[in-house]
Amino acid sequence: MELETDILVIGGGSAGSMAAIVAKEQNPDIDVTIIEKAEINRSGSIALGMDALNIVVQPGITTPELYMNSARIATEGILDYKPSYVMAERSYSILKRLEGWGIRFPRDEENKYISLQVHAKGSFLLEMDSPDLKLVLAEKVKEAGVRVINRTIVTKLLVNNEQVIGAMGFNIRTGKVIVCKAKATILANGGCARFSLPNSGYLYGTFDYPGNAGDGYSLAYRAGAQLTGFEFTQCSPLIKDINCPLLYITLTRGAEVVNALGETIDLEYVSTQNMLKELREGKGPIFIKMNHLPEERIQDIERILFTTERPIQKKFWENRGVDFREGLIELGETEYQLCGGHGLTGIVVNEKAETTLKGLYAAGDVACVPLQHLTGAFVFGEVAAEEAVKFVNNNDLGEVDQNLIKDEEQRLLNVMDNNKSGSISVKDFEYKVRRTISDYAIPPKNEIKLKRFLWWLPRFRDDMKDIQVTDHHELSRYEEIQFILDSAELSVHASLAREESRWGWFHHRTDYPEKDDGNWLKHVVLEKGLKSGEVQTLLVDIENGGEH
Amino acid sequence: MPLIVDEDLCTSCGVCVDRCTMDIIRLNDDGFPYKKYDECWYCGVCEEDCPENALIIDLPFQVK
Repeated sequence: MELETDILVIGGGSAGSMAAIVAKEQNPDIDVTIIEKAEINRSGSIALGMDALNIVVQPGITTPELYMNSARIATEGILDYKPSYVMAERSYSILKRLEGWGIRFPRDEENKYISLQVHAKGSFLLEMDSPDLKLVLAEKVKEAGVRVINRTIVTKLLVNNEQVIGAMGFNIRTGKVIVCKAKATILANGGCARFSLPNSGYLYGTFDYPGNAGDGYSLAYRAGAQLTGFEFTQCSPLIKDINCPLLYITLTRGAEVVNALGETIDLEYVSTQNMLKELREGKGPIFIKMNHLPEERIQDIERILFTTERPIQKKFWENRGVDFREGLIELGETEYQLCGGHGLTGIVVNEKAETTLKGLYAAGDVACVPLQHLTGAFVFGEVAAEEAVKFVNNNDLGEVDQNLIKDEEQRLLNVMDNNKSGSISVKDFEYKVRRTISDYAIPPKNEIKLKRFLWWLPRFRDDMKDIQVTDHHELSRYEEIQFILDSAELSVHASLAREESRWGWFHHRTDYPEKDDGNWLKHVVLEKGLKSGEVQTLLVDIENGGEH
Repeated sequence: MPLIVDEDLCTSCGVCVDRCTMDIIRLNDDGFPYKKYDECWYCGVCEEDCPENALIIDLPFQVK
């Protein structure tokens, strides 16, 4: 199937849905298409809603400048000023937009929004009551008249003269190839949740939605865009084994974290790094303790945890016979991930959501606006749409080289043909890839260890010929393994390049254990070498030195 | 970790198949949902969106 559109949005989660809605708001005559790997009513990282909007600057209470102070501390200086400032500046209008759509933000007895402090300076996190947030977004997409193509994985961006002119992929049930030419393309398909192996050993037991396999990182890299922050491999202390979140909901309501010695852990601004340190130092297991909280507080916590984001927790605790009124909640380290929302990783974007490639915008977890959370996904969904609308007014559809399309179709057909009777299941293959990421690509890091991964990398790519692929669902998993390998390759190169330790444990090099602001207050930027086709690393100054 | 389906309530409408975030649910020959692929993230969408409340998901053994 071939189609033409004005704006193609890849990924219909929080950022992508917002981008599509806003593009149609800006100009209803513009043709907008979303390609979604799952189904838009319940897709992306907020399929079952979210309990908070993490960054909201409320006029008269906090300021974008105060947020920037907090963000600089939280990112240890690896932060360009303008994109994060724009996010903070526009966050209140996002809140108002969501309220207008019926999303409830609880207020206290003085009619003020209930906010919680999880940043060093200022109380920016606003409670949000929205198990149905994604259904609401999908409804707005539908009302706006956006074309939605579900169950379709994008495998290639179409590029002509360093300009992105669309994308192609296939339906993961039928295998039908879809080629979509577009005047502007917005990448909004998430981070890489399937990076290292969860401690449970279960491939899909990840904290973030495991449909996000680094698709966007790989697509952007292969198309020639710049990426950054891949050395900051990040994890969290969450519910052991199931890796579901509960930290902010419990800790901002009076819960404490204690270690095996019964000591209460100092949690300055809910520092996850402090908790992880206790585990590394052998003071674990660590637990969340709530038995000192009043009954109504416990009920409030249960209401949120058991209805929103990961309601499966209710079943998990029932099965384990744990009641928050008495029992302790054991925390464990999640797998490591790459993410622009929770971390510092992503495609390089400016304050206009422009990537380094003409015609390509990026928003949400796939883009590097550090620690942007859901607020960033929504703000940069809006921004990307506004900029893309301007772009399509001045640009026509590009000329697509038909050979590129034929080659990609043939590549997919070849996998279906050649891998029918492969000897390794996609699952076994992914297990070993991610176990090897756990072995060599995550902290503590050193040069020899990181290079061990680079020894494995070509072997994995070569061995992919032995993966058994019997249907298009498995073909999509095969493609995702390539995305995971690309993400790991980028991460290892960035980790090797940054010869210092930064962002606490997450980029800890045992051969360069100190933080070195003199030399390393810089971005490690990655791109594909034009001639070599290999990963090139560049050091780029922080925009405005992180100052306004 | 099978899907637990109440066959008296299930109308084979396929909402669970349509909405599954990992695309792992299909209807069997009798029209009832099952997990064709062992890749569940236990997001709970199938259970939540089932209009007949006919479906319960169990956690994978490795994480439960």
